[in-house]
Amino acid sequence: MSARFVVGDRVTAPGLDGSGHTRLPGYLRDRRGIVIALRGSVPLADDRAEGAASPRIEALYTVAFEGRDVWGDACEPGVSVHADLWDSYLEKTT
Amino acid sequence: MSGVHDVGGKPGYGVIEREANEPPFHHEWELRVFALNRTLLAAGVYNLDEFRRAVERLPEEVYERASYYERWLLAIEELLRKKSALKALP
Amino acid sequence: MTKPHDHEHDHGDHDHSLHGASASMSGRVDALVTAFEREGVLHEGDVDRAAQAFMRGARPENGARVVARAWSDAGFRARLLEDANAALDELAIDMSHWVRVKLVALANTRDVHNLVVCTLCSCYPVGLLGPSPAWYKSDAYRARAVREPRRVLAEFGVRIPEETAIRVWDSTAELRYLVIPMRPDGTDEESEDELARRVTRDAMIGAALAR
Repeated sequence: MSARFVVGDRVTAPGLDGSGHTRLPGYLRDRRGIVIALRGSVPLADDRAEGAASPRIEALYTVAFEGRDVWGDACEPGVSVHADLWDSYLEKTT
Repeated sequence: MSGVHDVGGKPGYGVIEREANEPPFHHEWELRVFALNRTLLAAGVYNLDEFRRAVERLPEEVYERASYYERWLLAIEELLRKKSALKALP
Repeated sequence: MTKPHDHEHDHGDHDHSLHGASASMSGRVDALVTAFEREGVLHEGDVDRAAQAFMRGARPENGARVVARAWSDAGFRARLLEDANAALDELAIDMSHWVRVKLVALANTRDVHNLVVCTLCSCYPVGLLGPSPAWYKSDAYRARAVREPRRVLAEFGVRIPEETAIRVWDSTAELRYLVIPMRPDGTDEESEDELARRVTRDAMIGAALAR
């Protein structure tokens, strides 16, 4: 599967539907961030956790989130949080 | 899915306890659990995400009361039951 | 600050252990190993050999060598920041005992301080740093590091100026992060070995400064 995003893209992280294992932390769900790096294509953790014989292979990105955007204005100054997220966890935004 | 393991940003935690001169493992059995997990992963009995999932699916009260490597042991036991790798667990 | 629960149960010998004392844990591990050996999934001694190889090979001295080289050699530092796995190959650190992962090096500067965590479990570059400490694996660190890193670092005795940004890296996939701490002042004349001795495991997580 080809990468849907490039470095600099603004994204949100709705994650995948379902009740299984995922590597999108709850605190980042639906938050807005920026893609800062492409990390190759790797098997989707959600599929691997089910023991899938052919897990989906997807682009992996490092996404940077401003602390204020994650925790609100009370966040400590100058803090950003980064996470490594699979393509299907993300949607493009403005 | 958010579960008991998904603690990023969860409020209510206090001082992070740190042990001076902490040994790599507090007990021999912890090192053995660590090495057992590695060996089983290398042998392809299960993959790392299956293992994480098994830890995440521990009942909440079990997860919270178990020590870190106890969670691993419980997860490995559960995985084996699930995969029927063992016909009878000891 | 009050805690509704004490979540810092990271030791195997406390009385609240669901399954009793470490002797019983030991018995359960042994029984599992034996059962696997009987099933042919493991061979006798596999687990012990894996344990020994791991303890021999996975040590913070590995990461410290990488940092000391990056401090001493600007070209290496640049290559390390560009492609850490390739740069690591230059140092011939024995990595045979650990699963090869994609490594990313993060340089601390006056403008940026990096801190590594795994909120979902406890992912960590064991091959370079050795076994992870209990505090890194604790629910408290995993909960607080992404939310209030300045306060966590201050509690650890690390004061980061307000003008310095803090980047927290949550290891959610199979990337592992190595922090290159700032080189202490007044160390220009030191050899790589001397420099490496200044680099602690905690500094390579971003939870301490180099000595």
